[in-house]
Amino acid sequence: MDGFLIFLQSIRWQDIVDITLCSYILFRCYVIFRITKAFRILIGLAFLWIFQRFAVSIGLIVTSWVIQGITAVAALIIIVVFRNEIRSVLQVKNIKALFWGLPQQPFHAPIQIIADSVMDLARKRIGALIAFPGKEDINEKIQNGILWDGAISKEMITSIFWEDNPVHDGAIIIEGDRIHEVGVILPLSHRQELPSYYGTRHRAAVGLAESTDSLVVVVSEERGTVQIVKGSTITPVLKKDDLEKHLQQHLGLVIRDPSDQKKEKNEIRIAAMVAVIFITSVWFTIARGLDSLVTFEIPIEYMNRNPGMEILDASVNSIKIQLAGSVPLTRSLRPDHVRVKIDLGKSVVGQNIYTITNENISLPPGIFIKSFNPAVVDVTLDVLDKKNLPVQVDWTGKLPENLRMEKVTIEPSIVQIIGGRQLLNNITTAYTEKIPLESIQSSRTIIVNLALSPASLKVAPGFKDKITVECSVK
Amino acid sequence: MVYFQKWKVVIGGAAILLCLGAFCDKGGLSGAASAEKLVISSAVLCEDVQERQPLYEGVVFSIGIGKIFCYTLFDPVPEKTYITHNWYNRDNLTTKIKLSLQPPRWTTYSAIQLRESDKGPWRVEITDSEGRILQVLRFSVTE
Repeated sequence: MDGFLIFLQSIRWQDIVDITLCSYILFRCYVIFRITKAFRILIGLAFLWIFQRFAVSIGLIVTSWVIQGITAVAALIIIVVFRNEIRSVLQVKNIKALFWGLPQQPFHAPIQIIADSVMDLARKRIGALIAFPGKEDINEKIQNGILWDGAISKEMITSIFWEDNPVHDGAIIIEGDRIHEVGVILPLSHRQELPSYYGTRHRAAVGLAESTDSLVVVVSEERGTVQIVKGSTITPVLKKDDLEKHLQQHLGLVIRDPSDQKKEKNEIRIAAMVAVIFITSVWFTIARGLDSLVTFEIPIEYMNRNPGMEILDASVNSIKIQLAGSVPLTRSLRPDHVRVKIDLGKSVVGQNIYTITNENISLPPGIFIKSFNPAVVDVTLDVLDKKNLPVQVDWTGKLPENLRMEKVTIEPSIVQIIGGRQLLNNITTAYTEKIPLESIQSSRTIIVNLALSPASLKVAPGFKDKITVECSVK
Repeated sequence: MVYFQKWKVVIGGAAILLCLGAFCDKGGLSGAASAEKLVISSAVLCEDVQERQPLYEGVVFSIGIGKIFCYTLFDPVPEKTYITHNWYNRDNLTTKIKLSLQPPRWTTYSAIQLRESDKGPWRVEITDSEGRILQVLRFSVTE
């Protein structure tokens, strides 16, 4: 009981927010994508991933590699194959729909009105061509459509295909519960085996159906027959019920009764609970898993140094920190995730002693400090100053036999150096980089850099850092 | 009237004496010996000194020669005094040699024995009895 209370006390408000947010994100992903085919594949992928982790845990090396590869490739394939579906889900007009509420069912075509209208047109021997696009974009296949965007009614459909109407020869495109376009010219089929009595209207219906996933209803003016064309299949329809079934199947409409709606609500509640349980367990695995210790050597960052001062010396340049956290967190932890900062804002010239506390160390969430060493840093600061120093050549190696270096001329012979005042007080000469004597065969001129030590020393602006050395040998 | 002219003569004479005094302080009439300063006529680094002359002058010396000399010739030497040869390896003072000078002209030298650890840039600062640097000679000891 005490252990449980200690556990409850150890939970921070950030942990609760963390679990709640992630659970809600997972739940929303389910709500948004559950009606898509891609969702089932995603569930399959999740199982693959779980299986892969299981294979790793029991030491099936090659199996885990293979499944890992399959998962990666499958994820890529899903994005490519279901791009249209994913896009249609994410392309919502109201951004609120992504974060709240159930996705609204798209407006469905009033199938009964359409079926009734089609059968009526057939009886009256009025030719008609009605296209119901599927998921594919048909705009590249059709042409000359006139935007209509009208509500569907029996009278409207009849009047569009009335022989005196200027657009009666073209097709109409029905999207959702609207007649989107009228007078549309569909691509003609080039199939040779079509019956000879098929006219242009039938060929257009077959042309669109075979080049897209649309369903096209065609009414013959001569024979008063109704045919449905989908893919390369032409199906004659005799009854209104048959037509309704075909349309429902194509548009993916299922008549829902109240029990279905209740079932759906229960399904969503279960999904919400599963999301919370899943995220909570993942959170516990990651954030409250078995403790693991890791030690890093972290360089100290000095902040807010007065620009007029420079760090002359520091007792240490890095501190050794022992960190604790769950295995997944410590495994993914890198030294650059941890920072040790010392504020030099209030430092003075000379020795400054800083005691390092936990506040000086920034860590990623879920990682805790066990210990660090050293706890005290001694930083010596100095005021920047300038000093003119004579330049001297630093020769090395051995001069070839029978040669004597008699004279060396240096240009510039004096350079101004910027550095800490205390540092400059102890320096009386600026030496060049080492020049090997073996390369000297006769009197010559050499251009060489200064070798300033320590590196904090710099040549003052306006002074050359390249030194010209003219040596005369005999 | 005569009394006033006497005062003029006294004031004029005092002014002339003051001017002369000031001139003498600056060395104008203090004698040739006190006007002369210690001057280095020649200062070189060499491998040896024989018969008061430097031999094998240079600015780079092999450690193999064993010994380096700093030869200095002062002309004039106004009075008996001494100078110092301060030998520095990089910026560290390693040897300080005090040398006496006799008027009117004097040649003197100092030398250091080279060890394996003495490779690197060197300088010799020649200072007078009051520590003023008269000249700096720079050289290197190499393999």
